[in-house]
Amino acid sequence: MNIADFLVNALLFPGGLFAVLLGLFLTGLDRKIYARLQRRVGPPIYQPCIDVVKLSQKEMVIPKTANYTAFRLAPLLGFAGMLAATAIIPVAGIYSGLYQSGDLLVVLYLLSAPALALVIGASASGSPYSSIGLSREISIMLAYEVPLLLVFFTIAMRVGMALGGTAIFSLSSIVNFQLSHGSLLFDVTLLPAFVAFLICIPGTLGVVPFDIPEAETEITEGPLLEYSGMGLAMFKLTGGLKMLVLAALTVALFFPVGFGDFWLVNLVWFIFKCILVMFFTTTLIRAMQARMRIDQAYKFYLLVPTALALVSLVLTATSFRVG
Amino acid sequence: MAEFLQSIVKRSPWIYRINAGSCNGCDVEMATTALIPRYDVERLGCRYCGSPKHADIVLISGPVTAVVREKVLRVYDEIPNPKVVVAVGICPISGGVFRESYSIASQLDAYIPVDVNVPGCPPRPQAIIDGIAMAIEIWRKKF
Ligand code: SF4
Repeated sequence: MNIADFLVNALLFPGGLFAVLLGLFLTGLDRKIYARLQRRVGPPIYQPCIDVVKLSQKEMVIPKTANYTAFRLAPLLGFAGMLAATAIIPVAGIYSGLYQSGDLLVVLYLLSAPALALVIGASASGSPYSSIGLSREISIMLAYEVPLLLVFFTIAMRVGMALGGTAIFSLSSIVNFQLSHGSLLFDVTLLPAFVAFLICIPGTLGVVPFDIPEAETEITEGPLLEYSGMGLAMFKLTGGLKMLVLAALTVALFFPVGFGDFWLVNLVWFIFKCILVMFFTTTLIRAMQARMRIDQAYKFYLLVPTALALVSLVLTATSFRVG
Repeated sequence: MAEFLQSIVKRSPWIYRINAGSCNGCDVEMATTALIPRYDVERLGCRYCGSPKHADIVLISGPVTAVVREKVLRVYDEIPNPKVVVAVGICPISGGVFRESYSIASQLDAYIPVDVNVPGCPPRPQAIIDGIAMAIEIWRKKF
């Protein structure tokens, strides 16, 4: 792969500009549908773009107690991590990902970048509410990473064993395998893993039943409390990107198959699938549920999705030994 | 360019409430009547935010009692510029029913610049929304 291709991929098409815009679009759509579910008119779909523009024009207040460098750099860290993740995840029929092997684990690491950025920013800001938020952020992160890792491992093993080898962690191989053998979604043994992955999405995003670290009515937005202006805008952009990354990852892992070879059809189909994932994992649950307590969420993640993912792992392992 | 920016920016005012010793009548009116699904100010881009650092429009209710005055001023200073202040209810305007009470030194605009007054005890939701709309017009000109 030459340098020009790399730059285009990282800055314009799947990563960079396109991803940022698509991420903002998803956030806006989420807010619109959420409002419609409550029988409100709701904000226009481009509302998050307006918010980001406005925030970038506001003053950035930095508290006297804050560690200046860490406070300023933390939003960038999360944003950069998510941008890198968008460049790695392949889109079937259009884009085949940046790296050839091992990228599922890279994505797992990159997924924790926004949470880490929040933790760094919150601890640098020196606010007591932020530190409550950051301790909650860390506990919920520990809880959802366990099932997430199990799901990744199950899929890697399923693909690897079907190809007659050991676990394959390469995202592009996983997508290619599904393009020739059909989507993994229709594999009964992987169904529990699919559900477990979907359950992990709202926790990773920090939306309503699991928005405990940012509970705005209780600890006044937690880690984001001290951020204003550009820093807050960066966190908003990161949030949109994260939603996109998780949706794109679900699509890539479970149902990447597109229609034919024409890129435009595939792109529209990909965006449609992302919207579907977002609707069922974020918007609908957000409209139906109230916020959990941190101990409830912690137990929930260590019990339900982890058990589901383990069921899938065992089923996959045994099905191949017998067959 | 500035005009274009203003036309974008005016669609995203974030609201923050400060209770400066109010009897809670105005707070109920703001939080649960004016900004619920029925009137839906989110369609104008408004959003309630929990942190003063995220706010653009500050709604202040209550007569600014002696105990709470310092805190109100501190929170007000934390709000990043440009910002606009709306005084909700008769209390911050003149003291209202608490006028000449031992615990009230002066009305709100003796301490911080007030841009819009929304009188009433408590004001109707329509009046509050109207006040917010006026505040948005003032606020966008500050960019
Ligand atoms: S204006 Fe009336 S309702 Fe509002 S805080 Fe004052 S006394 Fe209460």
